[in-house]
Amino acid sequence: MAAGPLDGVRVFDMTLWMVGPWASMQLGALGADVIHIEQPGVDPRTLGAGVPPAIDGTSIGYITWNMNKRGLFLDLKSEADRETAYQLLETCDALLVNMRPGAAERLGMGYEQVRAANPRIVYTTITGWGEVGPMRDRPGADVQCQYFTGFWSTNGARGGRPEVYRHFTQMDATTGNVAAQAVLMGLLARHRSGEGQRIHVGMLRAGMALQSARIAEHLATGELHEPLGSAGFAAAPDQAFRCRDGRWIGVSATSEAEWRRLAGALEASETVGLPRLAEDARFAVNRERVRHRDALAALLEQAFAQLPRDYWLLRLGDAGVPCGYPLTWDVLREHAQVLENGYIREVLTSGWGRVQTGGPPWTLERTSARWFGTPLPGEHTGEILDELGSRAAALPAAAD
Amino acid sequence: MPGPLDGYRVVEIAEGVAGPYTAMSLGDAGADVVKIEPPSGDRSRGWAPALGGDSVVWKALNRSKRGIILDFADDSDLNAASQLLRQADVAVVDKVGLLPELSWDALGAEQLVYCALSGWGPRGPWAERETSELAAQLAGEATLSLGSPGEPPVRLGTDAGSMYAANYAIQGICAALYARDVSGRSGQRLEVSLFGSLLAMRSTLWVALSNPDEWWGFHLDSYEKPPDHGYQCADLPIYFSLARMGDAGVERLIDELEMGWVRDDAQFEALKRDGAGGAGRYAHELKHLWEQGFAAWSAAEVIEKVERCGGWAFPMHDYARLAADPQVAAVDAIVEVDGVRQVAPPWDFDGTPTGIRRPAPTLGEHTAEVLAELEQQARATL
Repeated sequence: MAAGPLDGVRVFDMTLWMVGPWASMQLGALGADVIHIEQPGVDPRTLGAGVPPAIDGTSIGYITWNMNKRGLFLDLKSEADRETAYQLLETCDALLVNMRPGAAERLGMGYEQVRAANPRIVYTTITGWGEVGPMRDRPGADVQCQYFTGFWSTNGARGGRPEVYRHFTQMDATTGNVAAQAVLMGLLARHRSGEGQRIHVGMLRAGMALQSARIAEHLATGELHEPLGSAGFAAAPDQAFRCRDGRWIGVSATSEAEWRRLAGALEASETVGLPRLAEDARFAVNRERVRHRDALAALLEQAFAQLPRDYWLLRLGDAGVPCGYPLTWDVLREHAQVLENGYIREVLTSGWGRVQTGGPPWTLERTSARWFGTPLPGEHTGEILDELGSRAAALPAAAD
Repeated sequence: MPGPLDGYRVVEIAEGVAGPYTAMSLGDAGADVVKIEPPSGDRSRGWAPALGGDSVVWKALNRSKRGIILDFADDSDLNAASQLLRQADVAVVDKVGLLPELSWDALGAEQLVYCALSGWGPRGPWAERETSELAAQLAGEATLSLGSPGEPPVRLGTDAGSMYAANYAIQGICAALYARDVSGRSGQRLEVSLFGSLLAMRSTLWVALSNPDEWWGFHLDSYEKPPDHGYQCADLPIYFSLARMGDAGVERLIDELEMGWVRDDAQFEALKRDGAGGAGRYAHELKHLWEQGFAAWSAAEVIEKVERCGGWAFPMHDYARLAADPQVAAVDAIVEVDGVRQVAPPWDFDGTPTGIRRPAPTLGEHTAEVLAELEQQARATL
């Protein structure tokens, strides 16, 4: 297998729960040797914060978020294991930690302590709310961050109340992805300067950055977004319509060119009673269409309801109008578009059999990414210690 | 002090959300970003709402770049785009940039890290299909965690597919630069799609569906739980959880809220340990009872009581309350760029601080400047 882009990079991964493990998992997928630390004798029921459901007694959280890694047992509270940790750290390029402020320092693994041993380390710490401010010491996880940052406030049925996204992982995973970016940027900066550095990423700011567009809109206008169902805020038409067969099609015209194509396709369609949209001044440019979005939607609803979904998929597809329709897991897991791009993969885990999960989201043409199953906690302890031992044996004896 | 990507040159030929946010992030991190727009401009300039001509989205996703106009129907402009790309370290392109003349193969620039953002991915029957945020969210199942089964689909108001793809694109670009600069590899083409990114972000669900010990857990029941609006207090909604609270804490909380009447409810007594918060197994069944108790108190009072009894409670902010929250101010999450308030970059680099280089350009603001640089370079190499 071709080497990944981070071939040769080694990561000391002392992360817990979701946000940190998600970050290091991306680095492992990109080719880094990620060594995930767990406490010897850890109760498997506490792994992955015990988030249900479990597979053979272990949270699917731990199983999902620790792929692409090797497992090492280290008791960082013991003198001997901390010494081993520091031997390992000398061989590492990056360290990731997501404990509350001050916790890593108490384990002897704070930035200044680690830097003294390895000044080239790219040390990334991930917090919930930040390293300063009144909420600094509060626990923070996906659920809290989603409610706090207003991620819920722009979703909801038309005319209804805003509602929370019920898959509670998106703030964690987003923050993990942002932390992985930071590690990569830190490694690039180190290549230039020769020096490592300390980096911080917090879920509050990462979660807000995800919402850059909507938050900026509020800050500029002072207005709050009212839920629009499937419709987008910025452009119209950009929403789902019910077709004659009861199925839904999402149709988006977010540029003037796409609007002209859609209007043309509707005019050429076998619908009756649809006025000539292209000549209606209310719909001449996007901001006018947004202003008259209800009138426009009413006309389009009437048109789409006249013919079945597959008719519209063909006609709009031919016309180059962006469209799509709802798929569900049972279809996705076998869908050619998913499988040919490797977006969902089956991997063999060490303790929990075969599971399906998302594959690498990057298609890298020359240094491909990889995805492999989760190790048992500490599974590679012997192997990693052997590697360290042979490294120590190969080093010249200390000069004292 | 320069940012972590200081010295890298990025050319963006993309529009909307995913490509612009990717390139903006590289610019915030110190790269020199030139964005190429057609004479009609990036489509997002015309989105709503507007702020002095261009849209707010445009201003929030296009800072830290210089902007130029090139008309690809014009041979000399197409040639200029090709030259800019061949001299760059990174190209960020989407459908707008997929002219045959500007493809990775046609450019023949071995050092270039060429990141294509697409709707559906480079292979498969949908590779050539047009895309949109909505189409990707529908196909990627994102809409199944909102709304109610059988009702019209509800999308994430945030452009999640585009933003997730951007976050992965930034990773892929930096990893490919690392392979090139540190490991001595060439540049390469990489592709990230909205669809693939949305699927990757739901991985926890895919594993949960693989072979669970029991059919329960908020990952699985997220499909059919009713819409979650938080817990309404006298004034505002909150989030709360009993997860870290002992049994004595729960009883104390009931007393503090003066809702002892709830102990007469058999269902409450049976399910209360797992009957709160967004993720609780029986949260929906017991919610009306908690809300009856909360109705006598303000959100701040309920949060204080829950915390005092050892649980978790947080305000459920809309954007107005978020922007006014002291924690948001303490971490400088909102910055003002040329009079436009927007969300700050999400990383803190102690050694190589990131920074916003400039406000989003007006249409063609830097065309003359960038073309003059190009000409100067051409002369210098003669």
